[in-house]
Amino acid sequence: MTESRTSRPGTAGREAAPRYRGWIGQVTRSPLYAGTIGVLAASPRARLVLLVIVPLAWIVTFNIGPIYQMGRISLMQTYPAPDSGAVLTLDNYRLFFREPLYFMPFIRSLIFAALVTVVTLIVVYPVAYYVAKVIRPQNRKRALLLLLVPFWAGEIIRTFSVIMLLANRGALNYLLREVGLIDRPIPMLYTYFSLSFGVVYLIALYMLLPLYSAIEKIPSQLVDAAADLGAGPFERFRRVILPLSKDGIVSGCSLVYLITIGVFTAPLLLGGPNTVIFPEIIAALFHASNDKWPAGSAFSILMLIVSLSTVGLFMKLVGGRSVRLS
Amino acid sequence: MNSFASRYFTDLPKTALSASYWIFVIYLLLPLSLMMAMSFKEASFIAFPIQSWTLDWYAKVLQDQQFLGAVGYSIFIAVATTVIALIIGVWIALLVAAEGIWGRAMIFALACLPAVVPGLINAISMRIFIRVLDIPTGTGAIILGHTVHAVPFVVVMVLTRLRSMPHSLTDAARDLGADNFVAFLRVTVPYLAPALAGSAIFCVLSSIDDFVRTFFLGGYQPTLPMLIFAKVQGGMSPEINAMATIVLIVTAAVGLYAEHFTRRSKA
Repeated sequence: MTESRTSRPGTAGREAAPRYRGWIGQVTRSPLYAGTIGVLAASPRARLVLLVIVPLAWIVTFNIGPIYQMGRISLMQTYPAPDSGAVLTLDNYRLFFREPLYFMPFIRSLIFAALVTVVTLIVVYPVAYYVAKVIRPQNRKRALLLLLVPFWAGEIIRTFSVIMLLANRGALNYLLREVGLIDRPIPMLYTYFSLSFGVVYLIALYMLLPLYSAIEKIPSQLVDAAADLGAGPFERFRRVILPLSKDGIVSGCSLVYLITIGVFTAPLLLGGPNTVIFPEIIAALFHASNDKWPAGSAFSILMLIVSLSTVGLFMKLVGGRSVRLS
Repeated sequence: MNSFASRYFTDLPKTALSASYWIFVIYLLLPLSLMMAMSFKEASFIAFPIQSWTLDWYAKVLQDQQFLGAVGYSIFIAVATTVIALIIGVWIALLVAAEGIWGRAMIFALACLPAVVPGLINAISMRIFIRVLDIPTGTGAIILGHTVHAVPFVVVMVLTRLRSMPHSLTDAARDLGADNFVAFLRVTVPYLAPALAGSAIFCVLSSIDDFVRTFFLGGYQPTLPMLIFAKVQGGMSPEINAMATIVLIVTAAVGLYAEHFTRRSKA
């Protein structure tokens, strides 16, 4: 839309308006339209206001509002605030650093998310490279589709399906027992193993797509040129392919890290008492009676700041461009 | 023999890459296939091996009022979310794409905020927000939560398409006498159609799949993921597998159809 342009002479008058067939014609002919949208559409200032007001109101109310309210409540002693007025305090933030019960899961969450990100990168990179460069172009779409289909199943269904594989009476333990490798089932569920397995299962797509689109853009001539100059496969990878796919690596890692930090479904179904990570701590504070809300808000704000600044720092250090969602 | 060996070794990286792809495909498909297989088991508990097979669980699920209710409720929420998210998303994209608006980069960054905030924090901040505004948990809150999450994705998809649109199209419409509103409806919206279709599919699927926002914003009526979650917590039987399989097949069919559709419209 070219909203900044002023209306031109000759098109401002409503008399010149053509007659449209169908429902648009009915709408534009109606007196209601001429008195409302017609007037707005004819006046540049009204159009500008119309263009700006709804998006700004939406963004301020629903994108900034909730975070602002969370920040406000994180400074309160109790919520709801007593009638005498809210007392602002930093106690909720102090509680986090004083209490290892909260502090340790947070550290664990950060390490867990970093490890999951690295593992996902290592697992998914060859797959993305294979689809983007090795497969013949006419088969590429189909190969990619095969990887996308599982992700159309929701979070809950995918997490639940991991239980089928890893449970004590699940497929893997059954197979190992039939083969005779074990006598009694290995408890795999409710451990860090099942948790990471499930999380990687949930998020691999967010690594795959950025990597795929970055690797696909690398011109094959560059790789061929490196080969002609005598670079072996490893050298070609290290000096040509890897640097040129940096954008994809940075976007993929950032996305995966941010999602893993806030992962909630997987620990709920696949985690156990030994694998308590921070999202569960926060969620528990909101499930309990309301007097824990200020602490929960403070913890959420801390997690938000730490996770976003970790990603920001990572992007700055590695030097990729900012995360793009498309 | 010698030439075979040498060929084998020069192809080694390719073989390894191909193997990694197929292992990854198996990793992705195995748990879901096991889950589907379990839905045909003739026993009231989930355990391997499967000795005898039955379709009874499907018959049971298709008569389950709770399940059918959850399907209807989830679809209703998804449709409402999609309609609102498309309107708001297109509106924001138009603002970001407009020339001569101050601070567009800032507006765009803030518009994308809900997509980069970790899901749990997004859900919790919405829970606090509706409490402060005295909005009850339930249908309205869920739709609001899903919409806030979906809008950034609509903005990005629509904006990408909008940036490739020549100005001459709307200018021509106006020179032919259309006012701005008609030019928008008759020229801009049809041009955006592929992006709108893609966004709509994304909104529907992400709303139907969403668990964490519904978990915090929902009332007593369960959506599909909430119902499946409640059943998993309340003791597992192959009935859950039958439910999940139906949901999986329908969403995958919608996704495949959308993929097919967008590929055709691009060509």
